[in-house]
Amino acid sequence: MAKQTLPFSQRLFRALVRVLPFDFRTNYEGEMEGVFREQQREVEERGGFMGALKLWKETIAGIFTTAPREHWQILKSDCGYAFRMMRKNPGFTAVAILTLALGIGANTAIFSVVHSVLLRPLPYPNGQQLIFIRQQETKLGNSDMSFSVKEIEDYRAQNRTLSGLVEYHAMSFTLFGHGDPERVRTGVVSANYFELFGVQPLLGRTFLPDDDKQGAPPVLLLSYEYWKNNFGSDPEIVGKTFEMNDKVHTVVGVLPPVPQYPNENDVYMATSACPFRSNKMHLEDRDMRMMEVFARLKPGVTVAQANADVSTIAAGLKAAYPKSYPDNVGFTSSATPLQKELTREARPTLLLLLAAAAFVLLIACANVANLTLARMAKRERELAVRSALGAGRSRILRQLLTESFLLAIVGGILGLVLASGSLELLTDFVGRLTPRAREIHIDSEVLLFTLAAALGTSIIFGTLSAIFSRANLTSSLKEGSSGGGSGRQQNRVRGALIVCQIAFSFMLLIGAGLMIRSLFKMQQVDAGIVPQRVLAMRTTFNWSIYTAADKTSLVAQKLLDRVKSEPGVLSAAISSRYPFEPEAITGGPESYSFQFQIEGLALEPGQAPPVSTFAAVSPDYFKTLGIPLKKGRLLAETDKDKAPYVALINEAAKRQFWPNEDAIGKRVSGDGGDHWITIVGIVGDVREFGLEHAPTAEFYASQAQNAQPATLIVRTISEPRSMAQALTRAVHDVDPQTAVTHILTLEQARYESMASPRVTASLLGIFAGLALMIATVGIGGIMALMVSQRVREIGIRIALGARPASILQMVLGQGMLLAVLGVGIGIVGAVALTGLVKSLLFEVPPTDVLTFSGVGLTLLAATALASYLPARRAAAVDPNIALRAD
Amino acid sequence: MFQILLALADGEKHGYAILKEVARRTEDKVRLSAGTLYGNLARLEGAGLIAESDRRPEVVLDDERRRYYLLTEFGREVAVAEAERMEEALGQARAKKLFRKPKLA
Repeated sequence: MAKQTLPFSQRLFRALVRVLPFDFRTNYEGEMEGVFREQQREVEERGGFMGALKLWKETIAGIFTTAPREHWQILKSDCGYAFRMMRKNPGFTAVAILTLALGIGANTAIFSVVHSVLLRPLPYPNGQQLIFIRQQETKLGNSDMSFSVKEIEDYRAQNRTLSGLVEYHAMSFTLFGHGDPERVRTGVVSANYFELFGVQPLLGRTFLPDDDKQGAPPVLLLSYEYWKNNFGSDPEIVGKTFEMNDKVHTVVGVLPPVPQYPNENDVYMATSACPFRSNKMHLEDRDMRMMEVFARLKPGVTVAQANADVSTIAAGLKAAYPKSYPDNVGFTSSATPLQKELTREARPTLLLLLAAAAFVLLIACANVANLTLARMAKRERELAVRSALGAGRSRILRQLLTESFLLAIVGGILGLVLASGSLELLTDFVGRLTPRAREIHIDSEVLLFTLAAALGTSIIFGTLSAIFSRANLTSSLKEGSSGGGSGRQQNRVRGALIVCQIAFSFMLLIGAGLMIRSLFKMQQVDAGIVPQRVLAMRTTFNWSIYTAADKTSLVAQKLLDRVKSEPGVLSAAISSRYPFEPEAITGGPESYSFQFQIEGLALEPGQAPPVSTFAAVSPDYFKTLGIPLKKGRLLAETDKDKAPYVALINEAAKRQFWPNEDAIGKRVSGDGGDHWITIVGIVGDVREFGLEHAPTAEFYASQAQNAQPATLIVRTISEPRSMAQALTRAVHDVDPQTAVTHILTLEQARYESMASPRVTASLLGIFAGLALMIATVGIGGIMALMVSQRVREIGIRIALGARPASILQMVLGQGMLLAVLGVGIGIVGAVALTGLVKSLLFEVPPTDVLTFSGVGLTLLAATALASYLPARRAAAVDPNIALRAD
Repeated sequence: MFQILLALADGEKHGYAILKEVARRTEDKVRLSAGTLYGNLARLEGAGLIAESDRRPEVVLDDERRRYYLLTEFGREVAVAEAERMEEALGQARAKKLFRKPKLA
């Protein structure tokens, strides 16, 4: 009733007073109200609106100048007190700060990656307008078939939603005129490529529309890094000339240091300068596809609208050119935001790691809360005395929060140091997953995140410990001096925190365990080759000399003869690609797909044509790599240009296309029946595109009949890398203009192909190890505390005849009970979270029994170990001393 | 702060009385509000310059919520020291002929 009749001004005053600290309010609120009422009465007596206004002004100003001062006072004294407490307990302080630093550091590091890669827009003006367009053959499972020149022209002319559309493809050319001939990574792009991305040149100009015209004088743009590292940032570089592909190229500009998508290149050239892109076949044949396409949305257009637009264009193409887009391949095209496209591979891994880091922080929180609780038990009397002396509960809570906040801030700063130290390693790792890795850095938003993490952490563990200790504040004074004897409820809370730590550690260990298991499985899988002592080296002939296929195969033959005569060489072959070749792993089978027809086999309407991957190899390829012949014959020296076309298939192809008949002697055609290729043999399956991918159908055609960019593959008697120099010399003996690059042993290639799962597994492993360590130390500490609190009780038990073994058993049993509970909850949590790791596993089910039982046993063993020392101490309690101790 | 000590120099007072006395004596030049008054009182109390009085006026006159404050011994010493410091400063200012000598009555 009284409240309802309270005048508005009083209620307003009360609301205002709330900005003052709680203690101040409890002390003075009533009086302040009284004073205010008197002042009001006085003003009313005198009358006048101005007087009332002045009173309010002064009152509000008074409260708002007093409040910060009072809060500051409290903060100062709390901080001072907290620092004294921290100094007094260096052990606790060090463990708490380190635990928090690890938790916050792990989160800061992973967040800086997630933030730079997944969250931040692309670093170009209106980066969200940039999209990636792809053409697909859905029925063939080909999700990116790239574009031909003709198609690019069609999309450019017909779209209604794009303000610009550009093409890109990457090539490797030899650059002469600057020291030794040098292989340069070259991006071949449309003239308006940089304009579309909104990149201004650092020096000179970017490309002009005229540069794109056929026959235009070739011009080059240098990337910032290439200009800096290879030309010492020469300011006079514009106008200099170099020779490439037997033509003089003039440098017209230098790019600023921008991230380059989709690959990093040394130089860029206009489409007209690329000898492949500008040959007649590529210009006119709609089916000669090798380009990628980027576009920018018109203002106000959504990605969905652009998506509808390009699929309409695709439908139109399909209707106009049925030969290029047969009904049965499921041809379509789609648009996705470029940012999403660039981070597609990285996303699941990064989110998994973020979740893992969050778990580590939660465990750290629980652990520090437990440590604080344990310390609180020792401080209970101190706090109770303070509370008896008139410190309000919220005052004590506030002080505890200040203490935890200080710990978290120091931990956070240390964590930041740890995070920035690990950034280089992380960048290296993420670089395997996304071209955005170079953008990873710690910026103000990451710092804000760290601060928020520290704040959140301190609130979580500070409140946890404060709330649970509050219950005991009043009672502990009455309880005598046994130091937190009221611990029953508190111990239950501590137990719950331990159970949480074990459960979270369990989930993390499961994640790491599954990744490691799948890595092992991957390592054990039979790749179908013998990779030991095999060296691969890319040998790129000068395109402009070896234009005709017969010339190429002639020099290839000469090269092989020369290399085989080199001492230490067991066998040698030349091929268009080899198993685990990094480019093949990145590109996937789609980049090497071969669509064909089988002689005498008509397709039903709408049925997809057979498709397989394709490699051109020399006869000794199989001997060199150790691929077994299963049936028929291998390729021979006689399978030359003029001889009938032949090919080998692998067993997967046999199973897929001729499951119930003999494949040998069957004929296929890749060009609509103009040429027929006869299958002469069947060889073993090889995991060409990575150990995690089951072998798919593969055709091996004769290299002499299909001249293609080539890699030299050599099996050696001794360590293959030691042969690299001699072999390079041998290649140059045959043709000094041939560039030898990408020298790699097959074992290296195989190892590299597992880099991504390996790093994911190691990072998860590190996180899980941290968690296990934090949790184990926490358990040990808490068990020790429980024992020391119960010394009297244990002493009585022993005095009454309990055997030490039964005491040991009792303490151990308590620890194990917590562990079993934690593991139980952990199992439920891990099963619920399997979706996070499923896509990253290889031949290991996400509920793998072996991993689950192994991790469970590990945790139980760790808990047993951590409780054993305190248990032994308990069993050794001398009842005489224990009972006298009080 | 000094004004509050001054207000309590001639006997204990409750909050509102202090506020009124300061306003009257300074001819409204120093105006305290509820917030600033109790902020200062809290600090003076914390420093031991003033204390709460046990004595209460007769029940009829007394408002239950009111607390009375008195100057402690230490508070009186501080007030005296402060007054002396001011007087000395004033004397020095006069010696430098910063302002006129007070008129003789």
